[in-house]
Amino acid sequence: MFPFPPGFWGSRVDLLANVGLGFSVALMPANLLFCFLGTLVGTLVGVLPGLGPVGAVAFLLSLTFKMEPSSAIIMLAGIYYGAMYGGSTTSILVNIPGETASVVTCLDGYRMARQGRAGAALGMAAFGSFIAGTFGVIGLMFLAPLLGRAALSFGPPEFFALTLTGLTLVAYLTQGSMIKALIMATLGLLAGIVGMDPISGIERFTYGTLTLRDGFGLVPVAMGLFGVAEVLENLAHIGSQSIYETKIKGLLPNLKDWKDSAKPIARGSLLGFFLGILPGPGPVIASFVSYAMEKRLSRYPEKFGTGVIEGVAGPEAANNAATAGSFIPLLSLGIPTNAIMALFMGALMIHGIQPGPLFIAKYPELFWGFIASMYVGNAMLLVLNLPLIGMWVRVLKTPYGILCPLILLFCLIGVYSLNANVVEITIMLAFGIGGFFMRRLGFEGAPFILALVLGPIMETSLRQSLLISRGNFGIFINRPICAVLIVLTAAFLIWPVVRPKKRGELTTESGG
Amino acid sequence: MRSNIAIAATLLALAGYIFWAASALPFGTVRVPQTAFFPKTLALLLAILSFILLIQALAGTETSRSSEKIDTAGWFRIGATLATLAGFALVLEPLGYLVTTFLLMVLLLRAIEAQSWRKIIVVALATALISYAIFAWLLGVPLPSGVLGV
Repeated sequence: MFPFPPGFWGSRVDLLANVGLGFSVALMPANLLFCFLGTLVGTLVGVLPGLGPVGAVAFLLSLTFKMEPSSAIIMLAGIYYGAMYGGSTTSILVNIPGETASVVTCLDGYRMARQGRAGAALGMAAFGSFIAGTFGVIGLMFLAPLLGRAALSFGPPEFFALTLTGLTLVAYLTQGSMIKALIMATLGLLAGIVGMDPISGIERFTYGTLTLRDGFGLVPVAMGLFGVAEVLENLAHIGSQSIYETKIKGLLPNLKDWKDSAKPIARGSLLGFFLGILPGPGPVIASFVSYAMEKRLSRYPEKFGTGVIEGVAGPEAANNAATAGSFIPLLSLGIPTNAIMALFMGALMIHGIQPGPLFIAKYPELFWGFIASMYVGNAMLLVLNLPLIGMWVRVLKTPYGILCPLILLFCLIGVYSLNANVVEITIMLAFGIGGFFMRRLGFEGAPFILALVLGPIMETSLRQSLLISRGNFGIFINRPICAVLIVLTAAFLIWPVVRPKKRGELTTESGG
Repeated sequence: MRSNIAIAATLLALAGYIFWAASALPFGTVRVPQTAFFPKTLALLLAILSFILLIQALAGTETSRSSEKIDTAGWFRIGATLATLAGFALVLEPLGYLVTTFLLMVLLLRAIEAQSWRKIIVVALATALISYAIFAWLLGVPLPSGVLGV
């Protein structure tokens, strides 16, 4: 399908040299520190139910402007995969998922904890995550450069089709109503046109304000939708949660646990990695699908939900492998596939770095340093999580009355510190209020933020495609890659109409 | 679902407004699309999607998940918090970071889950000072000095 240039597959020597380069970047003292900070903050937001990884990345984004680009992305990545680790801790110990990718871990993990096997569950979650995370990084290391090189032949029509397919797939995979997700994506694209036209420079919908000339900032919008709106949601239901005390004895799973978990971890790693590449909330979907799969493959499916270790090992492996997989489209195609990747793209672009097919060739030390830092970070997380579990549980007990004001203050400073512009605080509040009410009506924020970032790419590539083809829309079906993507998009749109029962099946099936 | 009908109608109106407002910009042609091309296309798309939502809502096929009811105390917490945050934006630059943050924390700690006054003062003061130290000194974020002049 692609014209493979000579040396396309690289050589083993190259790979070793690249990995060596990567570790030389990742092991620099400053980067080690930022990697540690990232995983620490990630674990923290994973543990705390009030703030998700999107909010945390948005907040720290403003602090990365003055850092080296490599330190910035090493730290932000640490938050992302750190949150996956931290989220499982609270799921198992207190039945409160710190973030959505750990919801299924509650099913069997918490049951295990009530049976006095919290240690085995926590240990297996951590080891499973470590193994899957490492596997995911290896996959990322091999697949991203390959895809990046293949994408060098992509033109505007391919990029338009990719963004279109990406947004449709996100809407298709949403756990709520697909039509509502599509509306949110359209609204996000519309928000993306505010500011200067990327081609002609004419101002659109700025209403003469200076703040809007560069469009809606990613950070104020993300902090509003994922920080403020989440806190408001929590404020509504204060006092409705109770925390149980669980004794933790011995963190090491026994030999039988390992035997039971080996295959679920292997399957979860593979499944999670590939589901992570697809647009949408990869880690969340991966964990649900892995749970459903393990239940189906098990010799005793009826025991799932009563505290079987496979129900912890599989999903935990899957969500960590998925975090690594979700970096692939961003780093090789320049197309973010979920809200966090959209923020990553923002972080890179602030430093003048355009992720895309040329990224790995142009910034090898950045890409390989980032890869190596993920190995380092995964090892750090193992150390952070197992011995320090007691501390994380104490953090979890911080009363909401104190936690919420602190989170809100961080949101305020995070946004203000960007441009020292009070108007951006107002924008954040507006999106916070809007996001809160929209979420109550079943409209999720993730497609919106993704579309906001993809909007300019989509518009530019659409207009360039039409210029190339002299207004002939046939350009999108005459090119093979484009045609495949357009057919896929059409399929995602038509399938739910043909089979309306499909929506929500994923959750009910695995939730039982 | 009545809320879905209302929101579909609002979105239809929004689509209409965007289409109208974009008419002031040059559209170009399909061969050479200009500034208004993408906004108008999106407005049309939004109108179509809202129309589908409206049909679904009227036909009753769109079952929206019912979110948990919020009681009066919950709405009060939300309202008080939002008012405080808006106030922060208003007085941040005239009063300066330290004073504004102290006031913000006092009000939020009081409004969200009434803490004892001693705790409120201690936490608010500590938060203002520590966050100032971290952001202004350690991270070099420019924060407004205001009345205290620091």
